[in-house]
Amino acid sequence: MLKNYFKIAIAVLRRRKFFTFISLFGISFTLTILMVATAFINNLVSPGYPDTKRDRSLYITLIEFTSNKGWLNRSGSSYYFLTHYAGTLKTAEKIGIASRAHSSNAYVNNKKLVIDIKYTNQAYWDIAEFQFTEGKPYNQAQINQAQRVAVISERTKLDYFGDVPTVVGKYIEADNIQYRVIGVVKSVPVSSEVFYGNMYLPYTVSKSDYRDHGYQGPYSAILLAPTVADVPKMRNEYQQMVPKIPIPDKDFDHIYSNADTYFGGQVRQLAGSGSKSGMGVFIAGAGLLTLLFLLLPTINLVNINITRIMERSSEIGVRKAFGASSKTLVYQFIVENIILTAIGGLIGVILSILVLHFINSLALIKDLTLSLNLTVLFYSLLACLFFGLLSGVYPAWRMSRLNVVTALKAQ
Amino acid sequence: MFKHLFKLIWNKKKQNSLLITEMLISFMVMFAVFTLIVNYYRNYNTPMGFTYNHVWAVNYDDHQQFKNTDSLTLYYETLRKTIKSMPQIVEVSFAGGNIPFSDNTNSTGFTYKGHQISRINNYKVGAGYKDVFDMNVLEGRWFNSGDKAAAHRPVVINETLKNELFGNGRALGQIIGDRDKEKGKLQIIGVVQDMKDKGDYYKAGRAIFNPIDTGAFRYIGQMVIKVTPNADAAFESRLYKTLTNYMKTASVEIVHLPSMRQDVNKSTVIPMVILLTVAGFLIINVALGLFGVLWYNINKRKGEIGLRRAIGASGNAVSGQIVAESLVLASLSLIVGAFFAVQFPLLHVFDLAAGVYITAIILAIVFIYLLVLVCSLYPGRQAAAIYPAVALHEE
Repeated sequence: MLKNYFKIAIAVLRRRKFFTFISLFGISFTLTILMVATAFINNLVSPGYPDTKRDRSLYITLIEFTSNKGWLNRSGSSYYFLTHYAGTLKTAEKIGIASRAHSSNAYVNNKKLVIDIKYTNQAYWDIAEFQFTEGKPYNQAQINQAQRVAVISERTKLDYFGDVPTVVGKYIEADNIQYRVIGVVKSVPVSSEVFYGNMYLPYTVSKSDYRDHGYQGPYSAILLAPTVADVPKMRNEYQQMVPKIPIPDKDFDHIYSNADTYFGGQVRQLAGSGSKSGMGVFIAGAGLLTLLFLLLPTINLVNINITRIMERSSEIGVRKAFGASSKTLVYQFIVENIILTAIGGLIGVILSILVLHFINSLALIKDLTLSLNLTVLFYSLLACLFFGLLSGVYPAWRMSRLNVVTALKAQ
Repeated sequence: MFKHLFKLIWNKKKQNSLLITEMLISFMVMFAVFTLIVNYYRNYNTPMGFTYNHVWAVNYDDHQQFKNTDSLTLYYETLRKTIKSMPQIVEVSFAGGNIPFSDNTNSTGFTYKGHQISRINNYKVGAGYKDVFDMNVLEGRWFNSGDKAAAHRPVVINETLKNELFGNGRALGQIIGDRDKEKGKLQIIGVVQDMKDKGDYYKAGRAIFNPIDTGAFRYIGQMVIKVTPNADAAFESRLYKTLTNYMKTASVEIVHLPSMRQDVNKSTVIPMVILLTVAGFLIINVALGLFGVLWYNINKRKGEIGLRRAIGASGNAVSGQIVAESLVLASLSLIVGAFFAVQFPLLHVFDLAAGVYITAIILAIVFIYLLVLVCSLYPGRQAAAIYPAVALHEE
């Protein structure tokens, strides 16, 4: 039966080539745009280099003070706050701490370089699985002695030293201070806030005083749970602890600090505040936007499908006259429409690969590579199916209500 | 004639409802797109109000501890003098974080004659700020050393704020109340031309300039420097050395304002290009769809058209009718669309000028009419080519 529908569908598609072109154009381009957007979001949600343990990690990126008078103060946390409070969590296996990347200049042969410096602790290197092309990260002893050692990214290596085989042991100058290079890692895109940097240094050599007992500062933390199952427990433990933290400033009466998933943290920065995670607002907003975007192509497709189906009224009339039920006919037309969207989807996948390739080659965000992986493909398939059903159901229903006599007479 | 056309459309309202919805949504999309374009274009056309070509900004993040305010002031004043004495330096000024083309915004509010005025861009500036950016003082004067003794804290405002507060009246010497009551009143000593400092596509907005007072050095981390045109990378690295040698506890970064301007413009243009691509694709989609459906409808009405031709209608009259019918369909959706769109200027949504919305509505209406016209011309011509004999024979 399905094989038959398939044959009919192909025959119909080949009859009115112009309509087929319009339908396929609409479907494939809509899906291309959706797939490219999904690839972006997927890049935010799923684990990637160097953050491969994302599914058992939680991130503390913000600390927020509010007062009933309406004041609000939002920033990163201080090193003291993160070690003193987040550091007491029993569930967490490791706590990686890193500062925000801070821009600094270096001058090589009268050429200016911008170097984004990140200060980290030792656990940071255990949690993030950086790929070292040479050398290794600094160890606890080097941190304790506040040695001026640096791990640099491949990009910095190329910009600063040029195309040389090895740079470990050489010196790099930033802020007029010499640091000894002990490792080179594969570069991270700037969109990956917690991990992006051109030069990584021990927190003990940072110029700001990491011993300062204020709560606010440039640092954020990554909490690593022993297993994925422990993540909710770790989050609960942190959530219960935060309200007990004494508030240092009399002007404020609430303190908010959250251990979020990676995506949750990003959403909170965009849409959240205080105790609200912003996730609902974000999903509603993104969903509404997608629906609005889908609306035009869908209505267009419905229009074309109706036209197409009405053209086949004689066929419908004959089938009805020979006893086909409305249900069978609706089923047939929906299957046909899904076949059409599947073909459109296939073209869409090819187009998306081309578009993503183009976006990657443009390098809008340095070191960011977007790709179509299985997850993105799965969601696209889902979108395809939804799209096919959405644009197929109404015309099929209209068609099934067609009177046999009128349908036959139309011929 | 029109009454007749409306009647024709109305009789087939069920068949046409989807077409009307499609045009309506297309109109709303185009309205949004044109609103953005018109707004950006209008802003782009206003003068910049300052120069930035040979301006560098220094971001420093100093962690030096000072015993008292005097030594703090002395420390930075010495730094300023050191830099100023370099040959390639024209002018130096300390500034708050919201220097032009940075993504930093600092806003404030105050009361004037009982009115609360908010969302005023608040700039902390040194005495040299005006000369670094070649700002145009329209009335009064810029800050000078005598201001420290003034009874009320002197401030300079921009043209937009002046027009909003005083209209054509006199702004100089007026006293305005600070939102923070304890800090006392502010006195206007000058009015400057608007500075489009958020990028080429954003208008200046209200602005107030406050002189940097002695305590402010504790949290200020920016310097703006005007250099001579011959200042090159070699000089920049020398300047960098000077800065880092003086501020031993700071991380220092030098950025050039022209490249900051490029970055800030990029963050407007790139989303715009993405939006236009998506909108363009939607419109091509809709155009193809309209074209297909209209074309099909003509084929279905062969009998009717054949009959009209047989009783003497000319080819032009037939194609004219097809085009006019499509335009009436478009009008129906545009009336509904315009009703929604007009709410934007009426309810002051998004704080844009009413003129922007009205221009956008007109452009969107013209666009949809053109689109429908183009899509119905070919089907109309096809209808005109129908031979009455053939068409009636088919029936």
